[in-house]
Amino acid sequence: MTGIFLFSEDPVLAKQLLTPALALKGALDQPITALALDGATAADLAALGADTVLLLQSASGWVEGLGDAVTDLVRAATVVLVGGTQRGKHLAAHVAAKLDAGLTTDAKSLAIEDGKLVTSRILYAGLAVGVEELAFPAVATIPPRSYPTPEAAQTPGSVETVAVTDDIRVTVTGTTPTESSGVDISLANKLVSVGRGFRSKDDLPLAEGLAAKLKGEVSCTRGIAEDEHWLPIERYIGISGQTVKPDLYLAVGLSGQVQHMVGARESKIIVAINSDERAPIFEAADYGIVGDLYAVLPLLTAAITS
Amino acid sequence: MPKFLVLYKWTLDEQDIKIKSDDLSLDASRAKGKISDFDRNAIEEAARIVEAKGGSVDVLTYGSAAVKQSLKDVLSRGADKAYWIADASAETADAVVTAKVLAAAIRKIGPYDVILTGEGSSDQFNQQTAPRVAALLGLPCLSLVHKLDVEAGTVSVTRKLAVCTEQATVSGPVVVSVLSDINKPRIPGLKQVLGAAKKPNEEIALGSLGVSPADLQPKAVRRSAKGFVMTRKNVVFKDANPADSVAKLVSSLVSEGLF
Amino acid sequence: MNFELTDEQRLIGQSARAFAKEYLDPIAADLDHSGTYPKAIIEQLAGYDFLGLLLPEEVGGAAAGAVSYIEVIEALSRSCPAVATILTNHTLGALAVVDWGSDKQKKDYAPALAKGERLATLAIYEKGPAPGVGPDALLAARQGEHYVLNGTKAFVRNAGVADLYVVFATVEPAPDKRALSVFLVDARTPGLTIGPRLETMGLKACPVAHVIFSNVSVPAAALVGGENGGTAIATTLLAKAAVFEAAQTVGIGKAAVKHAADYAKQRVQFGRPIASLQAIQTLLADVATDAHLAWLGVQRTAQLIEDGQPFETDAAMVKAFLARVGSKMLIDTVQVEGGFGYSEFMPLPRLFRDIAGTTLLDAPADFPDEIIAEAIA
Repeated sequence: MTGIFLFSEDPVLAKQLLTPALALKGALDQPITALALDGATAADLAALGADTVLLLQSASGWVEGLGDAVTDLVRAATVVLVGGTQRGKHLAAHVAAKLDAGLTTDAKSLAIEDGKLVTSRILYAGLAVGVEELAFPAVATIPPRSYPTPEAAQTPGSVETVAVTDDIRVTVTGTTPTESSGVDISLANKLVSVGRGFRSKDDLPLAEGLAAKLKGEVSCTRGIAEDEHWLPIERYIGISGQTVKPDLYLAVGLSGQVQHMVGARESKIIVAINSDERAPIFEAADYGIVGDLYAVLPLLTAAITS
Repeated sequence: MPKFLVLYKWTLDEQDIKIKSDDLSLDASRAKGKISDFDRNAIEEAARIVEAKGGSVDVLTYGSAAVKQSLKDVLSRGADKAYWIADASAETADAVVTAKVLAAAIRKIGPYDVILTGEGSSDQFNQQTAPRVAALLGLPCLSLVHKLDVEAGTVSVTRKLAVCTEQATVSGPVVVSVLSDINKPRIPGLKQVLGAAKKPNEEIALGSLGVSPADLQPKAVRRSAKGFVMTRKNVVFKDANPADSVAKLVSSLVSEGLF
Repeated sequence: MNFELTDEQRLIGQSARAFAKEYLDPIAADLDHSGTYPKAIIEQLAGYDFLGLLLPEEVGGAAAGAVSYIEVIEALSRSCPAVATILTNHTLGALAVVDWGSDKQKKDYAPALAKGERLATLAIYEKGPAPGVGPDALLAARQGEHYVLNGTKAFVRNAGVADLYVVFATVEPAPDKRALSVFLVDARTPGLTIGPRLETMGLKACPVAHVIFSNVSVPAAALVGGENGGTAIATTLLAKAAVFEAAQTVGIGKAAVKHAADYAKQRVQFGRPIASLQAIQTLLADVATDAHLAWLGVQRTAQLIEDGQPFETDAAMVKAFLARVGSKMLIDTVQVEGGFGYSEFMPLPRLFRDIAGTTLLDAPADFPDEIIAEAIA
């Protein structure tokens, strides 16, 4: 077994995978082979540190149907990293089954110890963190934005074209992109997050004004997006929504339940503004103000402007 | 008249799991068993299709001796027959072992037209069982299914991904994993609960499946599970005049290097 | 001695809890405010076959036994005790028919009651100190092949929504002052009127009113258990009522403890959750203990009922115990929650009022003690 293999159909995520792959290369002293579905991504991966890039020629491009094809290409692997999109997780499980390999879903950390891949992941909807050891070959799926993209490599790797067979038993008859409001809150450095402490949609400008002054974005809890429809669902943070890691997470008028905070708890600094001093958010915050958000937000916005 | 097999897991209710305050280890001693939430959606989907169009619903589970408690529960939810494998190996089984055991059992009791399961288990949420079982059996796999139709040997689905929805069809046997919003599982009524005792269940001995002891060793071994505890500064400002609290907050954020 | 529930009993309880969580939790506060009879909920309960749970299979019931029944009552009471009250009064009325009725009475009434197509209830109490005594006493005069009923039955639960009233009347001349006779009276019988709905302290969604009988004529065939056979029927039904109400009380108590414990874990004062304070822990522990031990007593009594064993003494003891500690369970949990516990937007105030209804009614205070005293003398 030799080699660190990586794949994601998401070009940005594929590049991010190179960072942990390079760390594993350092630990294992084995080359990195990246798999890609398009030429531009292949070239990027080669430039950013992949020793070899296999450019897959798939007729359908249906990721979930590439299980057997990818298995054949990664048979020699010590470790396989797959981008943890939904399609990626499906593909990774298929490949792991064929390799008779363990697979850590949504690995939060990777390390090599005593000839094993040691990973950690979230358990029980955020309640706990589990650590597991995988014998080689080991497979792990990595969530988007877990790692940065690496710097360009000294020597670019090579790109080879490989023909692959799709799973023709599945016919994809239609694909409709989900309507997006165009904002990716996971890219924001500062977030002002709103909860049910806001009495009406008309009060959101209080948060929006503050977010603008901070050069950040507005996010929210699940209820504000899915029940009240005050904000689009891409802005909600939580176990079934977005996960974010901004430098500053301002939780305004939200109680801080586990299902929400699991999406924000890796923020660098968490600040809570809530009129209820017994709200769980204060336990989860570095700084907090017990007060009426309708009074505090304008004061805070003014203070930041000056 | 499709033949369904639903794979389900008997899990501990994660809501009953507590974190021990001294060493952050997990205390599951008060946790009650339940059929994994998303597997309930899978059973419900199969039951609905069969109640509307005919066919049959078998269910299969692999777990410790505790799975016996699940049988009448699952049979009261629309299943016709329950197959079960109870073995100590289940307590350390990872997704590799689970998929191998289930695949071996399916080879024995099958074939089936549609093998259904939930998107992931409510305790571990690995999301691996469906694609693994499909790969081992050499069957196609349709995951994240939001809508399922079975008509004359063709399975048509709408999959709901974060980035898109996708329509797909398969003619012939297929493994399908369903999302929690595909349906609302029924609350079994009295007659269904009492009728469950009259439905058949069959134990499958692990030894009869040709699975070797090596096959039962997990490839992903749990080293530890610790409660996640937020260690934040918890500095709270409660001045009567909000302007004072705001001033203190801004000063703290400045010293954190945020501005 | 096996304290474990059977699979069926456990699953029945599980379904009842799922029902309560899904259908009762969202509306319990509103029902308490409005006092509206939850017709749709009762129909849904019928759809799950809960209305016929205790009735025999030959009339279309589930015959699931008293232990399963109290699982359901306890579960419903954690969310909306009034709904459980509607159900228990229906069940008691239906039991009068199936346990003492003639074959014809069973055939005529029981199947619809089992399916929940028709609702039953008991009409026992009167404004006077005991049935048959006082100016409004419900008296029945025999006239050939009929009886004519006159008088008022007081505080009848399910009044106005019931289709069948199981009426405990005094046939004149009465052989002794406690002699009662039971009549099955259809709600539509001419001369039967429902008084104005009475606003009660709690259990508000269960309608309560006086039922006035003005020359209500019923055939002799409407008698259950023969003339003057009603005292024994009343004793048994009231004992079962005690067990069912005890199940309600435990459900209410458990809901209160859970709410107060969750509150105590979150409420931070003086730098720590108040759940860490000994005084709070003692209050919660006492309530939880009372509920737990009471439940063991209720389950044991239900098992005796299932086994056809004498159960009246156990029923009286369980009732007497909960009459003592029931209200205390809510007093203590409100105390844990302080100002929040006293606020109507929280559940404890209505549970407080509901538990008064399940512990303080349906028997004069000394009635259980008389039974117990007799048993141990």
